[in-house]
Amino acid sequence: MATVPKVDVGTDYKEKYGFFVPEDFVFKAKRGLNPEIVKEISWMKKEPEWMLKFRLRSLEIFRKKPMPKWGADLSVIDFENIFYYLKASDRQSKTWEDLPPDIKATYDRLGVPEAERKFLAGVSAQYESEVVYHSLQESLTKKGVIFTDTDSALRDHPELFKEYFGTVIPPADNKFSALNSAVWSGGSFIYVPKGVHVEVPLQAYFRINAENMGQFERTLIICDEGSFVHYIEGCTAPIYTTDSLHSAVVEIIVKRNARCRYTTIQNWSTNVFNLVTKRALAYGDATMEWVDGNLGSQITMKYPSVYLMEPGAKGDVLSVAFAGKGQHQDAGGKMIHVAPNTTSTITSKSISKGGGRTSYRGHIKMYPDAKNSKSFVKCDALLLDDDSRSDTYPYNDVDAENVTLGHEATVSKVSDEQLFYLMSRGITRSEAETMIVNGFIEPFTKELPLEYAVELNRLIQLEMEGSVG
Amino acid sequence: MPFTLESMEEIASLHGEPDWLRKRRKSSFDAFERLPMPSRIDEEWRRTDVSGFDPAQYSTLEHLNGQKLVLPSTLPPGVILKPLRQAAQDHPELVEPRLFSLVHADRDRFSALHAAFFTGGTFLYVPDGVVINQPVIGQHFSHEGGTSVLPHTLIIAGKGARFDYLDEYIAEHDDEAGYRSGSTEIFLGDGAQVGYVAVQKWGRNVWHFADQRAELKKDSTLRLLNVTLGGKFSKTRVEASLVGEGADAELKAIYFASGEQFFDFHTLQDHQVGNTRSDLLFKGALQDTARTVYAGLIRIEKGAARSDAYQANRNLVLSEHAKATSIPMLEIDNNDVRCTHGATVGPVDPISMFYLQSRGIPEATARRMIVQGFFGQVLERIPFEHARALVEAELEARLG
Repeated sequence: MATVPKVDVGTDYKEKYGFFVPEDFVFKAKRGLNPEIVKEISWMKKEPEWMLKFRLRSLEIFRKKPMPKWGADLSVIDFENIFYYLKASDRQSKTWEDLPPDIKATYDRLGVPEAERKFLAGVSAQYESEVVYHSLQESLTKKGVIFTDTDSALRDHPELFKEYFGTVIPPADNKFSALNSAVWSGGSFIYVPKGVHVEVPLQAYFRINAENMGQFERTLIICDEGSFVHYIEGCTAPIYTTDSLHSAVVEIIVKRNARCRYTTIQNWSTNVFNLVTKRALAYGDATMEWVDGNLGSQITMKYPSVYLMEPGAKGDVLSVAFAGKGQHQDAGGKMIHVAPNTTSTITSKSISKGGGRTSYRGHIKMYPDAKNSKSFVKCDALLLDDDSRSDTYPYNDVDAENVTLGHEATVSKVSDEQLFYLMSRGITRSEAETMIVNGFIEPFTKELPLEYAVELNRLIQLEMEGSVG
Repeated sequence: MPFTLESMEEIASLHGEPDWLRKRRKSSFDAFERLPMPSRIDEEWRRTDVSGFDPAQYSTLEHLNGQKLVLPSTLPPGVILKPLRQAAQDHPELVEPRLFSLVHADRDRFSALHAAFFTGGTFLYVPDGVVINQPVIGQHFSHEGGTSVLPHTLIIAGKGARFDYLDEYIAEHDDEAGYRSGSTEIFLGDGAQVGYVAVQKWGRNVWHFADQRAELKKDSTLRLLNVTLGGKFSKTRVEASLVGEGADAELKAIYFASGEQFFDFHTLQDHQVGNTRSDLLFKGALQDTARTVYAGLIRIEKGAARSDAYQANRNLVLSEHAKATSIPMLEIDNNDVRCTHGATVGPVDPISMFYLQSRGIPEATARRMIVQGFFGQVLERIPFEHARALVEAELEARLG
């Protein structure tokens, strides 16, 4: 077994949001990855034959695919030293009170019940690998909206599931989508019927809580014609000493005239490798919006993408990345214009501090049929000290007639004039910098529901504390 | 004469090259043999297909005569201007430490081939404080039916030297086929001011590979312009290392791709020290089924505080089947910098077209005016009059 290098997780992490509860598992798979483990997972979940075959085929693909040579350094990941499946409790809890006390303790720290008390329609919180807590407001069920965990969806809605699963991101898409396809567990499944508008955001809290545990959730969202849904995922993770791998796959289908917004606040502890494939298909006049905030993890490689399949489709990525000491956020977005008259925008804001590194990596592709399409990419990077680093790698491929494509990027530091102004008003340097950073990411924050915006501002504040002199 | 060790030795002995140069050719040849053909797995070559290129097909080397130097009427004393291979014999103390020190022979198979077999090319040395008022012009062409023309230009500007240089790559016939490389190394001493223009108008069936790299010392200024019009395949690397404070590099290019032409540009603005400035603008028009790839990088190294870098690539797509790829990249390792970049790919603006046509200007003329205007921004920055007149005439001919 390869030795895992020591990882710096940030000395002050534990005081800020690190916490963990004793492990108590119903079932715990062995470390490592082989067809037996995959069969065991499938058997544990009582899955149909086709899913087992799908998993085994994906494992084959995973073994054959080389590690990506670009982006962050992934060579320290030891695939044989990871648990691929964990189940915290053998049944789904119906209400908050039914939850095991230690899990509740964890969620209390995260503020889930408060969030629910406020206005949440449904909470589908992922503790360890499987959804254990799940509630759905009656009104949603009445409208025909399905909001459940992905394992239950496979069991309860087999036709709908099979029709869409793996169609947006096939296992062979990349090495990590193949891995996820082989060992996936948990995640959310949402179906919004024709013309239904889900007024309140649906959200799930994801957590990793066992040492060396990989989390491979799989989310599938289907927005039928003319519907609307806003899905929010947020993550925090307690502190551990060895590397953890998080490799999710998120597939979204947005049918004609529908709109889907997918918001992520990622705050894994700084020893997690976060390698996520997110992709949406947007059909005629549909709108897909990714709002993606990356604050935590040691390495994140994530490029939410939208395939604009039919005329009038619109794609939007709003991405914020914050990299502190020892972190590398390699994030961005992809817009693949397949049909004419499609539009897309990518806005990226990144902040590096304390030796952290942020990279914007994006791809705009206009296929020959994508006539009269438009795309605009804007990247702003803020470097808070001279140990930090920022990169921009935008790939723009235009094969279509009469399209307009623009890309702009700037890299700067916190301006001395702004600092001087604030400090002349009696604000300390540290507070002033925090204010400027919060202002810098405001276009992102204002797209978030209130309690997330508050949480994000607080997180930035925590990250910024003691960052200056 | 194929590209073999023997033919390489033959070139060297034919011209009585010094031992150090023979050795250098030999090690470049070894690199050529050792290095694999670039493939689509390599990031730099992902969109650039060289699988159809076999240098062995074009192994008749053009010898020294495929070159003409147009000298200013009088050269100030101390200036050395002669064919590079002559200079290698006469001034080894100047040439040996610099030749292939900026453009590395082992960068890839084509760089190695060029370094092993280069024939023509110019050596220009301008001593400290010397100013040349008229531009120096090197013209390169296939004269004796050579199918490979591989000139290498080496320019050394002493402290405070000031001059302009033009490399012109000319086709005898527009349909000539062959292998061409035109690489350039420019050394700028403290406070030197150099204008360098390369006009590439090879024939339509030519494979062209060029590596240009400049090193800028303290307070030096480089104004470099590439004009790429010819070749069926043209790959040009333009790189500037800013190694002295106050250095200022202006890297510009104009390209016009039509028919089935494929142009690839790879640029690097390497800010190794602080208080340096670089400004890059590559503007191209694409017609018919032409394809262009631009990939450029601004790199600001750790200590390079107060650097100011700009990078822009603008593509005007004139036909429905032309394809443009633009990849402007940044790697910033210092926070006290100003760094901006941009890329656009788009058609002729319909509103501008409408405006011109509403003034009674026929469609074709209006289009032409818009393309001219598009290039105007670069044309007016061409460092010296002779080059400007040449480029304007070439573009005029191209626009028809």
